[in-house]
Amino acid sequence: MSSFGYLFIKEFKQFAANPFMPVVLVLLPVLLMLVVPLAANMEVRDVRLAVVDRDRSALSGQLVDRISSSGYFVLVSGGDSYEEAIGKLGRGQADIVFEIPRGLERAVGRGENAEVYIAANAVNSTKGTIGGGYLSSIVMEFSSEIVSAGHRSAISPLDIVPQFRYNPGLEYKLFMVPALMIVVIVLVGGFFPTLSIVSEKESGTIEQINVSPVRKRDFILSKVVFYGLLGIFAFTLAILIAHFVYGLAAHGGMPEIYVSAMIFLVFMGGFGLIISNYSETMLQAVFLMLFFVLIFMLMSGIFTPVSSMETWSQYVTYMLPTRYFVNILRAVCLKGSHFTDLAFDFVMLSVFAVVINIIAIVTYRKQN
Amino acid sequence: MMGGEVNVIEVQHLVKRFGEFTAVDDISFEVRKGEIFGFLGANGAGKTTAMKMLTGLSFPTSGEGHVAGFDIWKESEQIKKHIGYMSQKFSLYGDLTVSDNMELFAGIYGVPRHEAAHRITELLDRLSLSRERNALVKDLPQGWKQKLAFSVSIIHSPGIVFLDEPTGGVDPAARRQFWELIYEAVDEGITAFVTTHYMDEAEYCNRISMMVDGRIDALDSPAALKTRYGASSIAEVFDILARGAKRAE
Repeated sequence: MSSFGYLFIKEFKQFAANPFMPVVLVLLPVLLMLVVPLAANMEVRDVRLAVVDRDRSALSGQLVDRISSSGYFVLVSGGDSYEEAIGKLGRGQADIVFEIPRGLERAVGRGENAEVYIAANAVNSTKGTIGGGYLSSIVMEFSSEIVSAGHRSAISPLDIVPQFRYNPGLEYKLFMVPALMIVVIVLVGGFFPTLSIVSEKESGTIEQINVSPVRKRDFILSKVVFYGLLGIFAFTLAILIAHFVYGLAAHGGMPEIYVSAMIFLVFMGGFGLIISNYSETMLQAVFLMLFFVLIFMLMSGIFTPVSSMETWSQYVTYMLPTRYFVNILRAVCLKGSHFTDLAFDFVMLSVFAVVINIIAIVTYRKQN
Repeated sequence: MMGGEVNVIEVQHLVKRFGEFTAVDDISFEVRKGEIFGFLGANGAGKTTAMKMLTGLSFPTSGEGHVAGFDIWKESEQIKKHIGYMSQKFSLYGDLTVSDNMELFAGIYGVPRHEAAHRITELLDRLSLSRERNALVKDLPQGWKQKLAFSVSIIHSPGIVFLDEPTGGVDPAARRQFWELIYEAVDEGITAFVTTHYMDEAEYCNRISMMVDGRIDALDSPAALKTRYGASSIAEVFDILARGAKRAE
């Protein structure tokens, strides 16, 4: 057996004897996958809507009823004037002001265009924009019903019928669950090997390795391969939860998913080892790793789409391997893409994995 | 080469500086095959720094050196195959068992498996640690840990073993036992390079060097040194030499 074999067995025995890390390995994916999608839901409900109904007609009454029965809004009294309602918005007592102008029913009856006003508080921009969007679509629907009910109209309203491909219900969980699977793999693949090397530095055992003829690549690979396998284990737990709890059926094949996960784990392992090569203590390593993990997560399209970033930062994302992994995972899970569709992403991911591990081996010094 | 003896370590003008501080200041010496070479000095005299340069853990600032026939600048990985090293700070895997540690290091030094099994049993027997074979290393008492660390450092029967303060923090009886282990290893043909700041241990060595402030102030057999300085013990020799020391303990 080679040095690599002995070192790999050593990693396994150390991990198995550790009272803490195996528990973390199981709890991390389970808790992340079970708790976060339920708690951090981005669907918007209970938007407080201040209605200023200055028309006070049968038609305006119907419109307000329609809004309140949609289930998204809680009506609060908007008072008699727009100014009064805006005041409530400013004091945080309402999220959106909806004003129906005087003479709405009359205008509609004569077949003229009428306008309603929506003012949304965008301090919580998600609530503001999504709530405003719900509100305008309810009003549009209402107005098209008026037309089809026989009211004359100057312009027949254009109907927009959006069809959301691949995620028809625009279900937030379908977006969130693959993102969390990536978070699991980033955390396990990045932190576990880093902490393992730095703890060897702190306890001094690395000195006994450095004074032996073990080749650097055997030592590095024993860490990357062992912790990569742990990453695959955690990732598999995440996939099982995604499937059985959230009903996320990958349209594409498991081979694409697992091959990309393995390449990405090799990258994360090598990256973590570079960090541990430059850290003397756990604390230093954890802060350094956290810094990069946050960049990986926030800038690679896991939570926010790359296409809506500033142009310069879109270029930066090409330098982040997470971007390619996120692309592959989403495309396979939601669209059923295959290796051939994702060749560019696979190649880029592999280049990153190889280069970062070469750097890890070069920057690891047995002698200084 | 002196008197037809083979030198396993040869060092000329070795220097190690950390910024302004010169930890090892131009030392030169030879270690002969099969001897116990004592590397004596106060704490901070530069013993460990010198040893790290010889074992391929750090590069010298300047100077030349050969260990087991290999150059310390260019062939440190070759040196590592032929030496054993026991660190001042205990550095075996505490979360593994006694036999796990021994198997691991026998493995990475390339000892064939059946030979390793035989060697491990023999060493455990010699250490009277056979019953602790499956105990976690971190649970062993300090003196046993040091005996184990020593046996791991000679598990591959190296040409030279470097022992950095191997008896630090153990009682005199255990120190005496430890030296018996060193003698047994030397009987197998291993050269021992031992640092210590216990002056009584110097008497166990064939030759000793006295390091003060990064320099080697004296190097000879214990008896010759005592005669030269008109002292009754090595501790007295050291006191005479250390009077000029500037570095605080």
